[in-house]
Amino acid sequence: MASSGAPATTGGKEPPVVAVAAGVQSQLPAAVKRRRRRGATRAPASLWLFLLPAASLYVAFFVIPTLQAFQYSVTSWDGLSSDFEYVGLDNFTNLATNDSIFRTAVVNNLEFMVTVVVLQTLLSLLLALALLKNTRTSVLLRAVFFFPTILSSVSVAFIFSFVYDPTFGLANTALQRIGLGSLAQPWLGDQNLAIYYIGLIQVWFHAGQMMVIYIAGLQAIPAELYESADVDGVSRWQRFRYITWPMSSTATAIVVAYTTIQSFKAFDLIFALTGGGPNNATEILSTLIYNTAFQNFQFGYAAAQSVIFIFVIGLITWAQRRAISRFQGEV
Amino acid sequence: MSTTPVPGLSRRHLLRFGGIAAAGAGLTACAGPGSTAAPEGSAAPSGGAGAAGATGALSFYHWRAEDQGVFDEVISSFVAANPGLTVSQTIDPSDQYQSTAAQRAREGDVGDVLPTFRGAQFEQFVDNGIYTDISDQAYLDNYVPALIESGARDGTQWGVPYQLVFNQPLVNVEALEAAGVSEIPKDWPAYLAMLEALRGAGYDPIAFPGADIGNAGQYISTMAMNTGPSDDMFTRVEAGELAATDDWWLQTLRQFQEMSAYFQPNSLGTQIDPAIALFAQGRAALLASGSYHVAAARQAGAEFPMDLAPPITSEPGELKYEGVYNATFVLGVNSASEQQEQANLFIEWLSDPENAAVYANGTSQHLTVDGVEYDNEDLAALQPWVTANTLLAPRFQFNNLDIRNAMENSLIAVVGGDSPEQAAEQAQGIINEQLGA
Repeated sequence: MASSGAPATTGGKEPPVVAVAAGVQSQLPAAVKRRRRRGATRAPASLWLFLLPAASLYVAFFVIPTLQAFQYSVTSWDGLSSDFEYVGLDNFTNLATNDSIFRTAVVNNLEFMVTVVVLQTLLSLLLALALLKNTRTSVLLRAVFFFPTILSSVSVAFIFSFVYDPTFGLANTALQRIGLGSLAQPWLGDQNLAIYYIGLIQVWFHAGQMMVIYIAGLQAIPAELYESADVDGVSRWQRFRYITWPMSSTATAIVVAYTTIQSFKAFDLIFALTGGGPNNATEILSTLIYNTAFQNFQFGYAAAQSVIFIFVIGLITWAQRRAISRFQGEV
Repeated sequence: MSTTPVPGLSRRHLLRFGGIAAAGAGLTACAGPGSTAAPEGSAAPSGGAGAAGATGALSFYHWRAEDQGVFDEVISSFVAANPGLTVSQTIDPSDQYQSTAAQRAREGDVGDVLPTFRGAQFEQFVDNGIYTDISDQAYLDNYVPALIESGARDGTQWGVPYQLVFNQPLVNVEALEAAGVSEIPKDWPAYLAMLEALRGAGYDPIAFPGADIGNAGQYISTMAMNTGPSDDMFTRVEAGELAATDDWWLQTLRQFQEMSAYFQPNSLGTQIDPAIALFAQGRAALLASGSYHVAAARQAGAEFPMDLAPPITSEPGELKYEGVYNATFVLGVNSASEQQEQANLFIEWLSDPENAAVYANGTSQHLTVDGVEYDNEDLAALQPWVTANTLLAPRFQFNNLDIRNAMENSLIAVVGGDSPEQAAEQAQGIINEQLGA
């Protein structure tokens, strides 16, 4: 027999332990609760020592260089001289008003990001939906689609420099073999489209990885929802529209955020494929910063570009988080 | 199943062998990758330097991975002549070398001897005090004086440009014969006629590596050598005295666009290796790069005789220069080195004509060292270019690489279909930003 004040039980079963604990907790005086909370968060000082190795590495290789980037961004340091001059906000003023290559790089980067985020998210979701069931074929195909992810960026660049080569490459050869030789392209030599062709490589490179995230997310959707939908006689599209898509919003958030960051970090792929050419058509912020610092030896100016880079990524990440939270709120 | 002990191979023996192997590995590691020690019993060669008693371990830091084996050969003879010295090579890819050599050299852990590219990198090394003054070194007398001027500034010799290269297109001589062209044209109409004849003979006239600005950009020198208003035209562009929108550059862009009709299809997407393959396979008659790719073309299977065919943009009878050359791989001594005397000994060894010949013939490159005997067939074939009326490649007058890129990109833009005026405007816009920066 349950004592008075105890939580109600259902069907004569024993109350769950957590529920009992929660019930007891709710009856404690407020002062005791506060003491317990303080006690729960208080840790021996010696435990902080365990953080020290990781924290010192983080400070040495991340925090200090980042702060130094802010410091150098207001100097004219060339990266070699032992001294430098403070130039105030000149570098930032120049970036904003007098640097068309920087503006080109920002635009290229945004075009690249949008291409990759849209195509990679769609492709990885489609692959995940197609390979959701744990059959032998699906498992094999998942491994096949995941495979590019384990390659190094430079290897991928090497492979696609052969694919896109206009004379000997796979793409133009295939077009010629099927009688579409007139559609043969210079691919990475096309000033208007090269950035999108590199975007396709990036999608091929990472879609398998995002597919895995989606599969994990989709497999966590309760089967009961689909069973209820079946009982209600919904169409396949309605199942996707009202169950799969909203319920996979967390996976989508991860995929979109990760893909965005990846598209800003595509330095090695672009550097190995085009070096930013032709005519700056594939220059993105990371390749531009590298060239400014290590080809032109304008470290101060490159640091100013890096600071802008940090703010651009921060702004985009913030906007994405807001959009995704709003979407999840609606769901 | 029982095991039979191996007679004589006890645990103690194994430990002993292990110890010996570890010691051997340790000693090998101490020698370091690429280091060369004096071979046992080797005698010092008769020619070249040799300082009795010189000791130390020199570091030779450079970017010529393709020359490592030949350098090893030269280093072996140097070490045989100087038994107290060893030399190890540290090699970075050329892009990385341009980016990091100065910083690494300043730290002094590598590069007692180290080269620079002529132009911006050399200037950077001198500006930052990385090179030492070698003006009083006797080995300077071994060089053709005019060819080492680019290693000097304000009357001080900071380095010796070692390689002599011709930054102008290679041509398949058999293709010229097949097209009925008996000599390299000396004016623009004849040059276009040659390209037309090559096309008529079934060749892609020019293999153009448009996706590789490092090589495609070499055209800037030959296209401008006869059109530019002065030999120092690009220095003046950087100084703001000349502009990309001036007539001389617009004419250069128009002529380049005209010539681009003879490039292989979709040339802007072609990297250097496929371009070399097109040339080596006999599908393209010219390779738009320079004499430094002769060895690569041979490796890719080219068996035909080669010459150089720079574009001559002048009208008949108005030829100023037949081509361009570059004196580069500027060897110098690191001021952070604690072995500067030994480093000079090594440069002295490289400066000896007999030792230089080993390097030149082994790598198919002409050198600035006087009196080198070239027995390599390709070098012998290109020998007339050494005394031809050539201009020191103006491409390397640029010290601001953004300005150089802007000018070179205007060439790429007209191949891509932009009008010369549009390409020139765009280039000048970037130049103005740089000059105002």
